[in-house]
Amino acid sequence: MSSRSETATGGRRRSGQTLVVLALSLIAFIGLFPFLFMLMTSLKTNQQYYATFWRPTLPLRLENYSTAWQQIQPYFVTSLLVAAAAIVGTLLLSTVAAFVFARYEFFGRKALFALVALLLMVPGISSLIPLFVLMRDLGILNTRLVLVIPHVAGGAVLGTLLMKTFVEQIPQALFDAARVDGASGPRMFWSIMLPLSLPVVGTISLVTVIGVWNDFFWPLLTIADNNLRTVSAGLQFFQTQNATEYGPLFAGYALASIPLLLLFLFMSKYFLAGLQGGLPGSGR
Amino acid sequence: MPMTAPTVETAAPAAPAPPTSARRRRRRVPWTAYLALLPLFAVLGVFAYYPAVSGIWHSFSDWQPGFDSPWVGFDNYVAMWHDDLWWQSFRNLGYIFVFQVTIAWALPLLAAELVISLRSERLQFFFRTVLIAPMAFPGVVTVLLWSAMYDPNNGVINRVLQSVGLDSLAHNWTGDPNTALLALLFIGFPFVAGLPFLIFLATLQGIPKEVFEAASLDGANRLRRFWSVDLPLMASQVKLLVFLATIGVLQYGFAAYLLTGGGPDNATQVPVLRMLGVAFQGSQWGYAATLSSALFLITVVLSIVVVFIKRGDKADVKSL
Repeated sequence: MSSRSETATGGRRRSGQTLVVLALSLIAFIGLFPFLFMLMTSLKTNQQYYATFWRPTLPLRLENYSTAWQQIQPYFVTSLLVAAAAIVGTLLLSTVAAFVFARYEFFGRKALFALVALLLMVPGISSLIPLFVLMRDLGILNTRLVLVIPHVAGGAVLGTLLMKTFVEQIPQALFDAARVDGASGPRMFWSIMLPLSLPVVGTISLVTVIGVWNDFFWPLLTIADNNLRTVSAGLQFFQTQNATEYGPLFAGYALASIPLLLLFLFMSKYFLAGLQGGLPGSGR
Repeated sequence: MPMTAPTVETAAPAAPAPPTSARRRRRRVPWTAYLALLPLFAVLGVFAYYPAVSGIWHSFSDWQPGFDSPWVGFDNYVAMWHDDLWWQSFRNLGYIFVFQVTIAWALPLLAAELVISLRSERLQFFFRTVLIAPMAFPGVVTVLLWSAMYDPNNGVINRVLQSVGLDSLAHNWTGDPNTALLALLFIGFPFVAGLPFLIFLATLQGIPKEVFEAASLDGANRLRRFWSVDLPLMASQVKLLVFLATIGVLQYGFAAYLLTGGGPDNATQVPVLRMLGVAFQGSQWGYAATLSSALFLITVVLSIVVVFIKRGDKADVKSL
């Protein structure tokens, strides 16, 4: 880091900036290295891998991707179905509840809301054992439903909190105007609150997708049928199946990364809000 | 949908609003509100509150799911007190925590300082995006890739050591009890892709330019500015990060499970893995419930302590 003082000459400034760019490039390269190495190796056969460890070689073995896809395709189906169901469930519960909490006055409003907020204190991992036994007693282990439920329950808590904070900031004048025009409660919910809340809906959806995609222990413990595994739990199984076939193995890792990468590329604002919103207290 | 009911709400739209709470109108019997909240509380009651209570309840019993579970009082807690493996796992957790809040934050801080030193805003945005891009990969992929890099025979790390002539350092990183924990900690090096970096960067970007100009007029160089301006202004964000790290580290487990499974010789054992092992390999459900209740209690106590400290500090700042 060179001096940034006002008296620095243009030349010193420029060389300082170059140094910063070089340092940042190095850090970025180290950070991305495992993923770049994954991409490179995913296009090699084992012979190519041993012969030219450090550089890409022709021909590119694209067939590694189809080999890997055949194995992880069921995991994708499960993860997408679970994520979709969890988003729908979370939004159904949290938008309605947040609307009521934010816009209605009734006995016990604060106490009931505290009951919801209190659950943020309970770390997911500490109710994992009793939740597992409950699912076992309900006889729904090894189904897709068992994968959805914890995400709906957890998402509804965070979703209600985020959504309520947002709905409280919508000007009351909008609701008053609608009421004068004869709009009912559900009508205001549907025609005023939901359209205005789309950013929060987006954030909640992304938190849910990221949560489902990264959830590891729950699917690992509750699912025995390989076809019902989610991507995260399935990849571990996939890894043990292909431990010595580096090309298809890394191709599988790359494929498993695509959905979150796409979300990151095209919705990076929501993605980051989602990552941070997923943590209690990060709303500063 | 329960939302058909609240039409009743329109019954008093034109009623003059009480001046104190103009935005909320009082209803005599707010059944519709309760009805609309029912689905949420049904789900939370069955799948959040019931498991939490059931876990604590059964921690006092020899829990045999599906069979009689005799009440054993505090026996499980006494057993936990004498469980060396359990406390050893907390020692590992302590190492993990210390590493996270020092080395694993120093590099993101350095990177954030470097990014705001860039004069071009487009370059700032570019590097911010590239630096956090690893966050977009699933955690399992990251851990499995690092696991491959640690491979004793074909891993990238040993290959690098061999190619620079340091063959003697090449090592079975995850198989040796002396290096397994270190290997676990270095997953994700240089640790820039994460919440700490984003928070450091956002804070630094939020500092008004005038502050920096004043510092440089006073003759402060870059390092001096870092200590005297940047760090103090970041204090409250760092406290938030300490809070999140404290809570987060107690849930640490999946990377250890994938990389080492808690081994070798329990060198990377952490509470979550111990708890799962007791339940799913040992089938001691009551004892597992005890461990998970203890973990919960520790989380709550630590949250309260950290929030308390945070609040005290804030009051100090205000009084100045």
